[in-house]
Amino acid sequence: MNLNIKRRSTKSLTTGSLIETYPHDLQLYKIPPIDNISLQEFESLALERLNLLRCLATATTLKNLRPYSNEWREYIITELRNKGLKYYAKLCDKSACGNTEMDLQARRKDHIAHFILRLAYCRTEELRRWFIARELELFRMRFMTMNTESVDTFFKLNNLCYLNIPDEEKNNIIHYLRESTAYQNVDNMKFYKVKFYEVLDLVKLRKVYLHGGYAYIPHKDFVSVLSAQFRVHLKQSLAVACHHLGEIEQDERLVSLLKSLHQTYTGNDYTNTKAIIPIESLDSLSVKSFPLCMRQLHEQLRMAHHLKHLGRLQYGLFLKGIGVTLEDSLRFWREEFTKIMELDKFEKQYAYNIRYNYGKEGNKKNYSPYSCLKIINSPVGAQDCSGCPYRHCDVSNLKNKLQGYGFDPQTVHDIVDITKKGHFQVACSKYFDAVHNIDLGLGINHPNQYFEESQKYLKGEIKIEPKKENNSIPKESITDIHEMDLDEIVEG
Amino acid sequence: MVKQQYDANLLPDMLPIYYTRHFPQKIFCRWLAYGCSPQPLSNREMSFTLADDVYLRYLSISNQKELQELLQKKCPYKLDIGAVYNTKPSVGRHNAVVLARELVFDIDLTDYDEIRTCCQEAKVCEKCWLFMVIACEIIDKTLREDFGFQCILWVFSGRRGIHCWVSDYEARILDSPGRGAIASYLCLIAGGENQSKKVHLGNENLHTSIRRSLNIIDNYFEQLLQEQDFFATSEGLNAFLKLIPDETLRSQVAKKLEKLPQSSLERWTSFVSTYEAYCRENGNAMRKLKYLTEEIKIQYCYPRLDVNVTTGFNHLLKSPFSIHPKTGKVSIVFKSSNVKNFKLDEVPTINTLLDDMSTDSSVHQNNMKEAVKTFQEVVFLCEKTEAMRKRNNANTSIEF
Ligand code: SF4
Ligand SMILES: [Zn+2]
Repeated sequence: MNLNIKRRSTKSLTTGSLIETYPHDLQLYKIPPIDNISLQEFESLALERLNLLRCLATATTLKNLRPYSNEWREYIITELRNKGLKYYAKLCDKSACGNTEMDLQARRKDHIAHFILRLAYCRTEELRRWFIARELELFRMRFMTMNTESVDTFFKLNNLCYLNIPDEEKNNIIHYLRESTAYQNVDNMKFYKVKFYEVLDLVKLRKVYLHGGYAYIPHKDFVSVLSAQFRVHLKQSLAVACHHLGEIEQDERLVSLLKSLHQTYTGNDYTNTKAIIPIESLDSLSVKSFPLCMRQLHEQLRMAHHLKHLGRLQYGLFLKGIGVTLEDSLRFWREEFTKIMELDKFEKQYAYNIRYNYGKEGNKKNYSPYSCLKIINSPVGAQDCSGCPYRHCDVSNLKNKLQGYGFDPQTVHDIVDITKKGHFQVACSKYFDAVHNIDLGLGINHPNQYFEESQKYLKGEIKIEPKKENNSIPKESITDIHEMDLDEIVEG
Repeated sequence: MVKQQYDANLLPDMLPIYYTRHFPQKIFCRWLAYGCSPQPLSNREMSFTLADDVYLRYLSISNQKELQELLQKKCPYKLDIGAVYNTKPSVGRHNAVVLARELVFDIDLTDYDEIRTCCQEAKVCEKCWLFMVIACEIIDKTLREDFGFQCILWVFSGRRGIHCWVSDYEARILDSPGRGAIASYLCLIAGGENQSKKVHLGNENLHTSIRRSLNIIDNYFEQLLQEQDFFATSEGLNAFLKLIPDETLRSQVAKKLEKLPQSSLERWTSFVSTYEAYCRENGNAMRKLKYLTEEIKIQYCYPRLDVNVTTGFNHLLKSPFSIHPKTGKVSIVFKSSNVKNFKLDEVPTINTLLDDMSTDSSVHQNNMKEAVKTFQEVVFLCEKTEAMRKRNNANTSIEF
């Protein structure tokens, strides 16, 4: 990859050469871009594609939509439009070979952004796996929505030539093709012969006729062949990219951007909140409106009167995000910490950090509360209570904890089960449902979002039929802060 | 003459002689080398299990002489074969990269415990061996017809199962997802202990390979019903009834079968006619229960694979002609076309091979010879296809 990053963007390529470079909406990304782009464009392209890929992930894991189904696609396209990513929405909606300036620019962005993300996601096996899975989904989705004409052009442009089997051969095996192919009107389709290992996904599901080591596939199933090749190609390229990272990363700013990209949170950042939450309500809020990660930090603080650095950061910023004022926050931490230390020590060692979180010390940056992604990906020490409990707790501990909170065995089992499969945020959403005794299936991606959704629900802004089963949460813990007497507390 | 009982305590005395006189060392080495492609014989991992369960991994040999020396020195109770690495396994150890490995299948009768009625766990008899016959025929056909493999070696595991080694080049270099895909293609029975009905065929066309498997099953189904008598006990009958998802049909069948004599064959026939009548009257049920009889047949007969063995790229598997330390039986190679005639008590054991005076000796000696011959044939075929592949490769690369 040969991207020159300039402070300001130099002239972009002329439309004429863009047509040659980008004749088709769908690309195999074989050749890296050689554009000059500004650091700013670099960053925004990266974030936009990140948004796109996350959108795919959300559709599958959080929204529980079947990949490649119509609902799945519609959700993604609407989501992209809502996020202002019109060009991706268009590329995903119907890949074709138009050549308006808009088409060409969209393809150029698609091309460059794909390669930027390769750099950001080649670092670890886990990142690579995530990236490959998403890019493959994207590729498949786009291939599947193409019309026959665009498919033909795509094959021609990419020099993919396969010969369909002669009619005579087809007639001899037509009976088997009808039996073993997953489509209705097999008789009218042209069939192609590829080695069985080129369409493993079809073999696995027994959706293709196999004979003598060959798979007989109709045109439609070529997406399997292509995505298999795409996967192999991408896997190798990522391995190569990882090897050459050192050469690319001479620019400090690039390094930090690329390194932290996968942890970048792309939604609301909850830096500025308007609500004011009195600290006296935290005990009850922690039970009914905190996600488990924050509830556990709160309980730890109350119990041990202390939290380690990361825990203080994670919890402190969260509190800021829900609307605890700086003054309240200082008072809150002070009350706890001074149970085990001298006031003097607290003021010297800890108060600074709290003011720092609120942007009152150091570089005066107004820090944002951590997103799930950041919390889930952050390292957690053996004794720490920070992190995401679904990610960082032993399954048995998690189970005990949930049982201790009084959830019924089925709920505990469900949450633990999802956790085991690695869907931490889905588990979190299940926990939300259990606490509120509803069946909402929210997509959780930020602890503060969790909190807001919970408050919305408790204030009746979301109307949902409560689940009919028995209440598993102790009644007394459900009190709304709006029923409390706030007079004496608000002045801090 | 008295039939000599096998005694594991004598193994240390018998094994060195067995390895020297009976173990087909030469052909064994040729098999594992495949004309040195993709790597020499010395990059192939072998492992030994010694008398006191000491387990030696990452062994390797470069030729027959080294094999003989190693066998004599360590006198392994059991021999396992692993993958071909990019370097000598003893050198590379954990860092070595697997380059090739036969595609293997492991079928064990213990996985049939929930259906077989004659034996449980380690026990086997001629009756339950029929499950292995069906498994072998189905898997062999699928590998040959669907996947086009030719170099297929079938081996008796020494006690209660069979192994299959596919040595075609494409199979040997297939990666883990590829192996997984083939395993899933072959697997029709899914679900754990808490699931009664483990086969679901949907209601669309039956895949060609499933039809073929059902044809094979049909050749043995009646015999199996009679010998295993699956539905004779009330327990067995209940398990069977649980496989009928439609409640109305289930109670109809239950009522009918209770009145019948206990023979499973009769009960089955009666079930089939009740089912057919029910479907004729009830179009909706017809759609939902389209393949009910097929599903049940598959659940009672179809091969139950250990998928992990197949999917893993570097799983160790017991070598052909290794001795089973518990039974003394030789892991002989057999022809899939002849699996019907496989007799468990005619499998050579180490003591009959070494003792010319024992009653079974001549039969066993003979069967050992047959097994070695079959092994030889497969190895020759492997070498031939490998040579052809190389020639083809050379030809195509000249074109460029
Ligand atoms: S998923 Fe997010 S909100 Fe939920 S516990 Fe984990 S980090 Fe907290
Ligand atoms: Zn038996």
